[in-house]
Amino acid sequence: MKTFNTDRIAAKSYSTTLLARRWLTEKVFEIELTRPSSFQFTPGQRIRFSPETRQRDYSLLTTPSDSTLGLCLFNVEKGQFSPVLAAAEIGTKFSFTGPHGYFTYRPSARPAVFVATGTGIAPFLSISRSGVTEFTLLHGVGTASDLHYQDFLRSTARLYVPCLSASPDQAGTIENGFDGRVTHYLKEYFPPDTYDFYLCGRQEMIRDVTLLVDERFPGSLVYAETFF
Amino acid sequence: MKIYTGGGDRGKTSLFSGERVNKSDLRVEAYGDVDELNSALGALVAFLPSGEAALAEELQRIQSDLLHVGAWLAVTPGSPASSELPSITEEHAQGLETAIDKMEQELPTLKDFLLPGGHVSAAWAHVARAVCRRAERHVVRLLAGNDEDETSLQLRGVVTYLNRLSDYLFVLARYCNKVQGQPDTIWRK
Ligand SMILES: Cc1cc2nc3c(=O)[nH]c(=O)nc-3n(C[C@H](O)[C@H](O)[C@H](O)COP(=O)(O)OP(=O)(O)OC[C@H]3O[C@@H](n4cnc5c(N)ncnc54)[C@H](O)[C@@H]3O)c2cc1C
Repeated sequence: MKTFNTDRIAAKSYSTTLLARRWLTEKVFEIELTRPSSFQFTPGQRIRFSPETRQRDYSLLTTPSDSTLGLCLFNVEKGQFSPVLAAAEIGTKFSFTGPHGYFTYRPSARPAVFVATGTGIAPFLSISRSGVTEFTLLHGVGTASDLHYQDFLRSTARLYVPCLSASPDQAGTIENGFDGRVTHYLKEYFPPDTYDFYLCGRQEMIRDVTLLVDERFPGSLVYAETFF
Repeated sequence: MKIYTGGGDRGKTSLFSGERVNKSDLRVEAYGDVDELNSALGALVAFLPSGEAALAEELQRIQSDLLHVGAWLAVTPGSPASSELPSITEEHAQGLETAIDKMEQELPTLKDFLLPGGHVSAAWAHVARAVCRRAERHVVRLLAGNDEDETSLQLRGVVTYLNRLSDYLFVLARYCNKVQGQPDTIWRK
């Protein structure tokens, strides 16, 4: 029986080699992997590792025109898999499947608002590196040292607002710094209108912002990618 | 990954194309029907007579196609999200027709109305058929207000597919009874 043609969205299996690792902070690191020649993706999509019976997904940082693949990871203490990637020797081979997911940029007449917590910034980096500009980006982190890729994002975003939830004294020292959570900023300071919201990171943020959209920004679209 | 987002706790849900809609929205009803249909097919597969592995595989392919059907129903016409979905064409309905013809070759000609039921697998095929009809009715209502855009064309493909699928499920119910040696129950008025 003929089934639906899913070629353009089907994930396949690939093998890759760890090329480099760079620590951004004590807990967060970036890795560079070889890009299998036939592997294609759309910015915002992710790849999946399947250690033993588990599955661990990571959003791609890099763009479809880059020759390697990049990921940005939080090294979870006593985590099952992120510490493996944090410690693997350069040259280690991994297999992955992909591309997965639908968290891609969909142009529209409404202004785009990207909201990330922590490493949830990864897909937005790929999207903006691929040429998307004119977006507002709220990045929710604990302290200013977690504002990875800040310089690049400031240069491409229409408005970049770092929201620091755990260091009130730092917020005033950085441009547009906000002392509090992204939800608080949206609720108190973001002008009511209709937007396309793209939410990525912690489930609590995604829930709170989604409910806020219904209240304060009705008619807006919500696309979400939950990390944990 | 957490499967709950909590964004639906106050009666709204997000469509695949991003809109926040009430859970009473016709599209939510329609993809809910397709989900119910898919679950009924899962029950049917679980109760298939032994030795019907090929049939189980065929049904699982249909289950997988129904996930795409559900995605089309969760897309607002003309939205960019629709370009990420596989097309639903006449060929898919034709595939069901071929499967219907194959099963019918092994069945006696039908001259009476039947009572839905018989072997548990056949009973589930009838449940699935009835849900499939409801899904089709909801999609037809969805189409009523839409223009001739790409999503509406796909929804027309969905109507044809669901229409053929309910015929397939009717014949499948008879086929399941046949392989179990269970006669059709004729409606005695
Ligand atoms: C769609 C999707 C995309 C993802 N993309 C990324 C990504 O680009 N980068 C990334 O680091 N992770 C990402 N994740 C999370 C990733 O898949 C793993 O869950 C994470 O690496 C932890 O796995 P683990 O086996 O080390 O920890 P586990 O033993 O599974 O521990 C899970 C716990 O780790 C914590 N945790 C998980 N992810 C993070 C995180 N990103 N930051 C802080 N704490 C976390 C949570 O408390 C969680 O309960 C993504 C998850 C999903 C579902």
